[in-house]
Amino acid sequence: MLFNSYEYILVFLPVTVLVFLLLGRSSRSLALGWLILASLVFYAWWRPVNLAIIAPSIALNYALGRVLLGLAGDPARARRRTLLLALGIVFNVCFLGYFKYANFAVSVAGDLSGQDFVFRQVILPLGISFITFQKIAFLIDVAGGRIKAFSLRDYLLFVMFFPQLIAGPIIHYTETIPQFERATCRFDRTLYAVGITLFCFGLFKKVVLADGMAAHVTPVFAYAASGAEATLLQSWLAAVGFTLQIYFDFSGYSDMACGAALFFGVRLPINFDSPLKATSIVDFWLRWHITLTRFLTAYVYNPMALTLTRARAARRQPMLRARDSHPLAFLHVLAFPTIATMVLSGIWHGAGYTFILWGLLHGLYLVVNHLWRQYGPRPAPGVFAGKPGLTAQLAGFAVTFLAVVVGMVLFRAPDLAAAGNLLGGMAGLHGPGLPGARFGAAGMQLLDGGVTARAFATAAAILLALLAIALLLPNSVQILAPYEPVLYTPKRAAEVPGVLPALGRRPLAWRPTLAWMVLFAALGAVSMIRLTGMSEFLYWQF
Amino acid sequence: MTDQAILDTLTGILRDLLGDDDIVLTPATTRPEVPRWDSFAYVSFIVATEVEYGIKFPIADVESFQTVGDIVTAIRKLKAA
Repeated sequence: MLFNSYEYILVFLPVTVLVFLLLGRSSRSLALGWLILASLVFYAWWRPVNLAIIAPSIALNYALGRVLLGLAGDPARARRRTLLLALGIVFNVCFLGYFKYANFAVSVAGDLSGQDFVFRQVILPLGISFITFQKIAFLIDVAGGRIKAFSLRDYLLFVMFFPQLIAGPIIHYTETIPQFERATCRFDRTLYAVGITLFCFGLFKKVVLADGMAAHVTPVFAYAASGAEATLLQSWLAAVGFTLQIYFDFSGYSDMACGAALFFGVRLPINFDSPLKATSIVDFWLRWHITLTRFLTAYVYNPMALTLTRARAARRQPMLRARDSHPLAFLHVLAFPTIATMVLSGIWHGAGYTFILWGLLHGLYLVVNHLWRQYGPRPAPGVFAGKPGLTAQLAGFAVTFLAVVVGMVLFRAPDLAAAGNLLGGMAGLHGPGLPGARFGAAGMQLLDGGVTARAFATAAAILLALLAIALLLPNSVQILAPYEPVLYTPKRAAEVPGVLPALGRRPLAWRPTLAWMVLFAALGAVSMIRLTGMSEFLYWQF
Repeated sequence: MTDQAILDTLTGILRDLLGDDDIVLTPATTRPEVPRWDSFAYVSFIVATEVEYGIKFPIADVESFQTVGDIVTAIRKLKAA
């Protein structure tokens, strides 16, 4: 069931919440049992076979978790614990790998051998990577002794909780289950107001902003994929436009997830923190899809870096330091695991060459960022921990934004040829493409009934408006910050370096007042009307 | 080996690693409180600590340390075993 569908907003969500509150009056167990049942219905709605595919994996993970729990805390059985944990991780990775990459593996084999293999397409169960990641984190948490006890009900609530089931935020067991245990299962006026506001925020971002931009971005990518040369203006419109589209799409989804979770008394971890305002690529990854970065850092990068650093220490080779590290230490324990982790992240996002290249590119970006930190100009004494000056911040922002936009071309393009076409266009290789001159070409007529100059002006106006919203306004979590709409709500105020300083000092703080209610009712109403052209969230495919 | 002695040693390791002599670790210190103590410097810190005490933290534990106090406790446990 899509978050941006009438059946979810008008039927599923209200009914689920109402029954939850009614049952909650007599018993929390009943209410939580109902929540699990509703989540199963939510998951099976689109294609019931999804549930049949995922159920055995849930059962096996639960069983593994129980055995690990029995072994936890006993140093004598540490070896068996490690072995069992490794087995569990391998199982989950293979499970995910089969569904996600069987098709791609066959096509690569075909590319390499020059033959076309006949292969039945494997069905990809909805949200399988997000669900699998959480199961892996759960097993590691149990083996590490961070989970002392759990029941089947707790485990199902953790794995199946529908607001974050399909596309995150990726949570740890210890983040939500204690909240369910404390939840009153009662109607809380303020909490529900915050939840509805966040939900409307997300719906508006998705349906009006992201889908509004997509209407102008999709034709250009299709045009480039057809082999026609994309011009300068066209390519930049597509690249920056898609960057904004996916930001509003995915952060909108996250807002709707966090908002819906509040109805059940649960705060989900923050997933987006105005990433397009980032002033370095490291900063970007700490603000974009935060729970994925956290997962990859903890379970991929750190174990790899730890193993490599230990090997260096055993050989008495120089270690990585905060500054001026030995170049070999930098390459060995920072550059290599960083690039490997990002390539893996690329492969996770999609089975295809463009995603691998996107991951590699971001790995290289991060390495450049760290080279600068290691060997770049030393900050003046006294400002060691301070913020860089305004010029440095703006320069950092510009470079980061450009790097992200270039990466997004690879992320979105259907194949390498189309990506190369658009990147060439952005570099000016295919001419400036002033509106009216070459915009009459086949693909571009899709823009707006062939009124090319006007179509371009419309698309550019939407793009600039979205850019202003993303860069100048505080984000949804910042506006709701006094009410802690998510876990780890940032304490700092909304700030925009050099622009709108007044806004930085006094963020537009939401209050449960009539004025704000009217505003969000309007946003929600506009979104509901636009819902007819329903589209999937970009991240549901992962 | 007192907790304070371990804290002093850890402070020394981190000062050396980050090149910042103003760092003073307490049992309550968390990573975000120390400028530049990111996940990259964290891994080096953990391994330098392992070398100093001749121990090896289980990988799953490295992710679970919330405060410097947790690390001190883990060191004591591993030294006692």
